[in-house]
Amino acid sequence: MSSSSRGAQASEPSWGKRSDLDVLNRDIPRVDGPVKATGEAIYTHDVRLPGMLWARVLVHPVPRAEIESIDLEVASEMPGVVYVEALKEPGDAVRYLGDDAVLAVVAAETPDQAADALRAIKVKARRLAPVVTPAQALEDGAPVVSRRRDADSNVGRANERGDEAVADAALAGAVAVVERTFEIPIQHHVCLETHGHVVQPAPDDEQVTVYASTQSVGGTPRGLARTLGRDASKIRVLTPHMGGGFGSKFGPGLEGAMAARVADQTGRPVHLMLTRSDEFAIAGNRSGSRQTLKVGARSDGRLVGLKLDADKHGGVSGGSLPGPPYIYTVADDSAVASRIRSVFTATDGSRAMRAPGHPQASFAMEAAVDELAYLLGIDLVEMRIRNLDSEVHHRQLRRVAEEIGWGEHPHRDRPGRAENGRAVGIGFGVSVWGPGGRSSRCDVTIRPDGSVVSATATQDLGTGARTYVAAIVAEELGLAVNMIEARIGDSDLPPSVTSGGSVTTGSSAPAIKDAAHKAREGLEALLVDVLEAPVGSYVWRNGQVSVRGDSTRSLPWIAVCALLREPLLAQGEFRDFLHEGRIHGAQAAKVEVDTLTGRVKVLKMVACQDQGLPLNRLALRSQINGGMVQALSYGMLEQRVFDEQDGFLLSDNLDLYKIAGAQEMPEMVALIDDEDERPSVCGMAEAPVIPGHSAIAGAIHNACGARLTRMPFTADNVLETLYGKI
Amino acid sequence: MREMDPSSGEPSAISRRSFLKGATQVAAAGGIIQATAAGAPAEVVDPEVETLSGTSSLELLVNGKARSVEVQPRTTLLHALRTHMDPPLTGTKEVCGTGSCGACTVLIDGQPAYSCLSLAVTCAGRPVTTVEGFGSADAMSDVQQAFCDKDGMMCGFCTPGFVVATHAALDRSPKASLDELKYELSGNFCRCGTYPHVFDAAAAVQEDRARGEEGR
Amino acid sequence: MKDFDLKLPDTLEAAVGELPAEYSRDGAQVLAGGQDIVTVMKDDIEQPAALVSLQRLGLDGMQWDERGGLTIGATVTIQTLAEEASIERGLPALREAARSVGSPQIRSQGTLGGNLNQRPRCPYYRHPSVSCFKKGGSVCLAEFGFNKYAAIFGGGPSYYSHPSDLATVLVMLGATATIAGPGGERQVPLAELYVLPDQALDTETVLRPDEILTSVSIPAPAADARSSYLKYKERASYDFALAAVAVSVNRGDDGVVTDARVVLGGVAPKPWEVPAAAAALVGKAMAPEAWTAAGEAAVADADPLEHNGYKVHLVKGLLFRALEALV
Repeated sequence: MSSSSRGAQASEPSWGKRSDLDVLNRDIPRVDGPVKATGEAIYTHDVRLPGMLWARVLVHPVPRAEIESIDLEVASEMPGVVYVEALKEPGDAVRYLGDDAVLAVVAAETPDQAADALRAIKVKARRLAPVVTPAQALEDGAPVVSRRRDADSNVGRANERGDEAVADAALAGAVAVVERTFEIPIQHHVCLETHGHVVQPAPDDEQVTVYASTQSVGGTPRGLARTLGRDASKIRVLTPHMGGGFGSKFGPGLEGAMAARVADQTGRPVHLMLTRSDEFAIAGNRSGSRQTLKVGARSDGRLVGLKLDADKHGGVSGGSLPGPPYIYTVADDSAVASRIRSVFTATDGSRAMRAPGHPQASFAMEAAVDELAYLLGIDLVEMRIRNLDSEVHHRQLRRVAEEIGWGEHPHRDRPGRAENGRAVGIGFGVSVWGPGGRSSRCDVTIRPDGSVVSATATQDLGTGARTYVAAIVAEELGLAVNMIEARIGDSDLPPSVTSGGSVTTGSSAPAIKDAAHKAREGLEALLVDVLEAPVGSYVWRNGQVSVRGDSTRSLPWIAVCALLREPLLAQGEFRDFLHEGRIHGAQAAKVEVDTLTGRVKVLKMVACQDQGLPLNRLALRSQINGGMVQALSYGMLEQRVFDEQDGFLLSDNLDLYKIAGAQEMPEMVALIDDEDERPSVCGMAEAPVIPGHSAIAGAIHNACGARLTRMPFTADNVLETLYGKI
Repeated sequence: MREMDPSSGEPSAISRRSFLKGATQVAAAGGIIQATAAGAPAEVVDPEVETLSGTSSLELLVNGKARSVEVQPRTTLLHALRTHMDPPLTGTKEVCGTGSCGACTVLIDGQPAYSCLSLAVTCAGRPVTTVEGFGSADAMSDVQQAFCDKDGMMCGFCTPGFVVATHAALDRSPKASLDELKYELSGNFCRCGTYPHVFDAAAAVQEDRARGEEGR
Repeated sequence: MKDFDLKLPDTLEAAVGELPAEYSRDGAQVLAGGQDIVTVMKDDIEQPAALVSLQRLGLDGMQWDERGGLTIGATVTIQTLAEEASIERGLPALREAARSVGSPQIRSQGTLGGNLNQRPRCPYYRHPSVSCFKKGGSVCLAEFGFNKYAAIFGGGPSYYSHPSDLATVLVMLGATATIAGPGGERQVPLAELYVLPDQALDTETVLRPDEILTSVSIPAPAADARSSYLKYKERASYDFALAAVAVSVNRGDDGVVTDARVVLGGVAPKPWEVPAAAAALVGKAMAPEAWTAAGEAAVADADPLEHNGYKVHLVKGLLFRALEALV
């Protein structure tokens, strides 16, 4: 195989002028669409291997207990049961409802046999006070639930910023001041494919194969190396398709370790996917928070002082919450003071979830901005523009306002009133994100028969990553997307990043571009003698290459490749100048509130996002719409419910933990901010999920004057806010 | 048997007893279910009532093909498809297992069903259509093609269920308005948030089919 | 789900013969569309040793009588009730209730009988690890626990709210259930089909373990009656009723209400008829004052728990909206 890195590089890769693009910045149907739409796509959940065992874990139903006994005898003698192991011994504690509550693992010849064995395990345990709510954790004498063994309190060290006295002084001088306490619940990721793995064991000198529903094909071998007692290079992880991660699938977790251990011990392939109830109990969540926010403004609306006192609720983890003033600015930075601490409960630790902490911060801050605007009689959009630094936010707010009909809306600087119990309102919110980019590699191989492979060890969480792995190469070489084979989801491929924080596109797309560019120059080097023009003076378009300025000197793609005596391998790497680090968004929501029944119906949502160069406008709109849908679901419906007395997680199912469905969907408009002409690319997983629920809450307030300070915006919340609790 | 129209003037001559008896003749279904030599034999407890007990062999009609499968009475159609058949049909997904999400949607007798709540043994003799039955990656149905064109999928895990539900919705209500489409798709849930794109896909199919009708 | 035997009787008599006289958690139960019983079994709430299928009994017929009354077999699907043109014309409230049930998948497979006999949705009852009062525990955990969805009428010692949409509307329509058992058939008005938790724990109906609900008969509505079913779902897509109202109003030539019937769903352990709300409408013009008065009368006896007081407002608002829509 020849390598293009041998030849001198004639130029740096570039995304090119937008007007010259044939493939990118257009609607590109995803390349794995047909296999997904027909059920042919194989997810980890779907892997079937000869002799495969079906494994399950047993999760203790309440968060805290002392184990008296775990009797495996009956289970181990049941038909088809091959492996049973207790993970706790008598006297051990269950300290929280998360991976620490996994008591046993079983594996059997069939899924039913595994379930039967699980049911036959007899556990005796003494239940302890559950400590599932922050209030319980803060009670005098509450048991300490922290994961840190030396912890002596359920309260983490407070992160204090700013000078409270300065903030107080500024607030005292403000014309309008609002102070509210917001309760933001814990949200589950609800990946439709639960966490899990299929592990195929192998002799020491061969690779163990692990199918994993993961956001980190590249990191998973290291995560399983110790369990399997072998070097990470002897573990191959495959993720051809995966059913959602949203930040919860960064490592193999206990369930991955168990799958690996059972495979190792039995010498047979093992399929271990969490059940839906397991998933709710032990697979992470977005942390909640309780925030008391006090903000003051001058008569012109400019914010002048701010104080935040916040508790983060991340179970046994710390939780996330960015500091104030979230995205907005205060006239004098020194008048911002905050104290943020973690309150620990004996519940599953929070994990990253799309823009960790940001939707929580947005909810409180946007509410304060709305309320100050009303106190001062300032238009909601104008109020935001006066307190946001970025011109990008200004233009985006104006655009979403126009799209949602703000100009014609009758009450823009005060809440409306219900007529015959019906009211319509509009609300707004903004977002920022720094998607970043870091080391990533990609190999592009061109074979003499004209076939092209673009390969990198990334994973497609549903973002459309696989499609741009092909499309970027297609653009560079003037080919159709379907002429490029995209290979991803395999840890043996050139390494790429873990998909978190919208970093995947900013990392892998530059490496793909770099590889494609090198491949092109490698081919152009061959053309120097054939078409008699130097490297860098060719146009690749429509399956042809021609000399720039002389279309008579051209060759079809297949003839170019025929010049190769062996496959051409181009190895690309991350190029910093090809990615973008900061993006902005604005959203608007329009709702109808029935003040007699408490019904909130979201009528319309609009988002405007900048992003540098859109690689695939179709997938980009999907991401933006998807962000709005998740925020709508978060705001309107989602509720984790614990029984506070005994500690049962009641909402460990999709009946009680309600996510938005088809009939919740408003009219949705995803606007791509094409005024952003930066020649760079970035991911779009986080930014669009940040402000939607805040805009909806603002719209409810704008409709009828009810400021909801907790989520979700269900009938009980709306009616109790309007009329008080009965 | 069905006398639906109150204005038809048909007298209600039959007594309730015969109402029930009469209907019995219509519904008596053939028992394709049988005991197998390999599995535990179906024990006949009451000679007058057919009883299925333990593992037995069942013939299912899936996507137009007879598929033999060993099941217990408790085996759901979903598990029969995904784990009992050889080769398995894994396009139908299991997400909740409690009939709450729609990922396991198939058609039974042409009607949409949660296969996780349908016992395989009760599907004997009733045609079952899974996502694989509508098309393949090389020869997609119009709905599948529209899902690709409009990006009616992201992670894709809910997609097979949505494809089947969309076929059912458009069969049931070919000219459905957007609100009616939402109603007919309200038994399927997506976490990535593809709904607006799914609606676009369904609308595109409606347009294409309407154009096809006109052209005929 | 534990395995069980599936019984496929060919006659009603044989089916009844397979059912036990006394309730036990592992006693045989009836299988119709399976949309509820399978979830109950998957959550190990009941572990019947056998299911007796109604599949071959031909209970899937419907019959109008000459006066406009309708008899519906127990295994008629909810989808049939939702899309049948004659029901849309003759019994629009029944159609609305059927359309509001579950999802297309549930409606297509679920049956009338199954819907009427479905078990409570209380999350304590449904949780496999929780021993709630109905499952033999010593106390109703919802009473002082999570009770946002619980009953505001008729609760104690359990506080579940009845989930059936069809039951609510059928009570309003004055329907009668036909029930077959070892001693033959009996007729029970829908209004008397359900029992409160202080009368029974193992069941929510007067059906004995060895009885099968075979059909429901709805008398012809009065010619001048207008009725509707309005269901409030927390989630518009596929949800049970947070509250629901089935209302019927007859008006004279002068527009004054001459007769009315109001039945609430989702707020009590059984469909909850509120004669006082109906009485508040009679003799009044159909106007907001009367609707508000009916709402106040409807909730006069409400006894909410800590987290479900909002249902008091909700019922008033919902009844107002349902009556408003009848004008």
